[in-house]
Amino acid sequence: MESKADSNSTDQTQFDRIFHPENIAVIGVSSKGAGFGAGMFFALRAIGYEKDIFLVNPKGGSLAGQPIYKRIEDIPHGFDLAIITVTAGAVPGALEECRRKGAAAAQILSSGFRELNTDEGRALEEQVRQIARKGIRVIGPNCFGIYCPQSGLTVLPGADLSRKTGPVAFCSQSGGMAVDFANTGKSMGLAFSKIVSFGNGADLRETELLDYFGNDSQTGVINMYIEGVKDGEAFFDTLKNITQKKPVIIIKGGLSAAGSRAVLSHTASMGGSRVIWQSLLKQANAVQVNDMEEMARTTLAFTRLPARVFRQISVLGGGGALGVGAADAAETHGISIPAFEPGLRGQIEDLLPRPGSSAANPVDVANPYVRPEILEQVMELAAADKRIELQILITLFHHYKNFSALTGKPVREVTPYAELAERVEKVVQKTGKPVVVVLNNPKRGTDHMDVVEMIQEARQAFMQRQIPAFDSLNEAMEAIARVNQYYNTKGKANE
Amino acid sequence: MNKQAAMEIIKKAREKGQKALSEFEAKQVLAAYDIPVTREMIVEDQLQLKQAAAQIGFPLVMKACSADVAHKTENNLVRVDLRTSQEAGLAFAEISEQMPDGENSGVLVQEMVSGKRELVMGMTRDPQFGACVMFGLGGIFTEILKDIVFRKAPLAREDALDMMQEIRGRKILEAVRGMPAADTDLLAQMLIAVGQIGLDMEHVAEIDINPVILAGSRPVAVDALIVLA
Repeated sequence: MESKADSNSTDQTQFDRIFHPENIAVIGVSSKGAGFGAGMFFALRAIGYEKDIFLVNPKGGSLAGQPIYKRIEDIPHGFDLAIITVTAGAVPGALEECRRKGAAAAQILSSGFRELNTDEGRALEEQVRQIARKGIRVIGPNCFGIYCPQSGLTVLPGADLSRKTGPVAFCSQSGGMAVDFANTGKSMGLAFSKIVSFGNGADLRETELLDYFGNDSQTGVINMYIEGVKDGEAFFDTLKNITQKKPVIIIKGGLSAAGSRAVLSHTASMGGSRVIWQSLLKQANAVQVNDMEEMARTTLAFTRLPARVFRQISVLGGGGALGVGAADAAETHGISIPAFEPGLRGQIEDLLPRPGSSAANPVDVANPYVRPEILEQVMELAAADKRIELQILITLFHHYKNFSALTGKPVREVTPYAELAERVEKVVQKTGKPVVVVLNNPKRGTDHMDVVEMIQEARQAFMQRQIPAFDSLNEAMEAIARVNQYYNTKGKANE
Repeated sequence: MNKQAAMEIIKKAREKGQKALSEFEAKQVLAAYDIPVTREMIVEDQLQLKQAAAQIGFPLVMKACSADVAHKTENNLVRVDLRTSQEAGLAFAEISEQMPDGENSGVLVQEMVSGKRELVMGMTRDPQFGACVMFGLGGIFTEILKDIVFRKAPLAREDALDMMQEIRGRKILEAVRGMPAADTDLLAQMLIAVGQIGLDMEHVAEIDINPVILAGSRPVAVDALIVLA
């Protein structure tokens, strides 16, 4: 294992050159437009990277009207970032030339290194590492690169990702996870500061990226997908330090059961990687999630809710077994739904249709067509209860499909999601208490694609107003519980 | 704390080529780090046994004391709840008889700690994270329920208290069925100390303290294994 002193150290300025490069060189571009190199070039142009992109291929020629230089040294300008896509054997040579040109970093998309588990692959990766030590940072090899909406860098494939910048960072050993999370985030309403897929992590990897994101003013929530760490102790110390500043959400891939080491004690036989990882992530106050959807939901809660613990909430809405379902979900996640005082209850009930409604908390509105203005009043009243720290609103928009059938108008026109989003935003502003929306939708079949589409539009409407929307009550509560867990522990540590 | 004494014990055992400390040696290492252990003595004959019994007091537990016998119960080398000199004398004879040839380094006589609640503590060296401390339900439940958690050493007091809150069976530490609440301060000190042994002694590969019995509210290390590297 390498000591810390050996590792390439990089200051914030060099990181700036990596994430906001002044010109890019793509090494290994086919003039026929096929392959990773050309793919990356087109993706960067499509997403709108504004600076120069220089192309290199020993055969020369041109691509999309742009000259292809035969050698890296022929490039007439300096460039901060190289994207290397040549075959593995040619990577060390190309990397060295980029270093001589003064590039700050190279993302190596090429595979054929350590992941092959061959002597040749390992030797090539060692060569890459040696060159990196001389002063060029390497992302990869065997990775999908960097996505940075602010500067217009994108992963491959990522031509259609958003240019909207936001507080979410993600670093991932897996390139596929990086691309998937960028897409999942986009459709859920998350905006990113930076996504880095670091593949084999020959040089730049989890601990340094975590530290960088921790100190990056554009990043508010850090997400990580980790299979293995290079230096466990350094990673743990950095993680513990960074979670005191901002939440770090982690998926640990490859959590195998107890290790196969020959050990004598029960302690050692039970201390396999899974249980140790779980315990240590907790010790460092990292938020551990199981999969990408959970990660996205958790990130959504962290980015849209105030930085605090929410113990007592109100639940308003309808749907099957609301009262029992809400109570069960709340108990599972350590949240309580206190019953309203009779006076307040009466005030709320006066606003709701009779019979069928109940304002005990959860407030069951009984009728899915209760107007947004009424819901607004009910939520304002509920927020007046001093104990309530957050409100959950369960919408029943799918029922408007029936309205659509009756009136002959499209469901998106008859559903008042836009008005509701506006009113919910007002409630939040007026009461100072956050509202979390649940977009309950049991109608998802091919005969209800209009409902699915409308729900997605509703999600956008809420998201634009910074109101987090989840698909189910349980998912919403789970995400809130994770926020609670993080700030609760953080608060204790700061006492 | 007497780190020097603990190091001395480990050094001697390694010089003798031991792969693990005997229970008696392990307890001395733990005691050197202020971890409460059972009162105990090694006896080699009936006369020493009588003196030990007089000093410790009945009821007694007697065990074979050999560094090479890691799992004493499975080898039928443990006698518990010995209430008279006669029972103790017979147990001594039986254990001595059953010890493997040339392995007899005495019989361990110890106080019998009574308490229904058994916990486990331990230390393992994770290949990635180094010394990690374990806490959980002890005795036979350790393997059956695997209700355990780990923390990386060094442990802050808060870490140790979190471990107690994190096991599913956390209620066992509360006042329950007429038994008093466990002394969590002392438990925390013990966990911190186990981690400290891991950090201080590079030749300690693994530690098992199982069970730690709650004698009333007070935890006591009743059996211990320290594996050497």
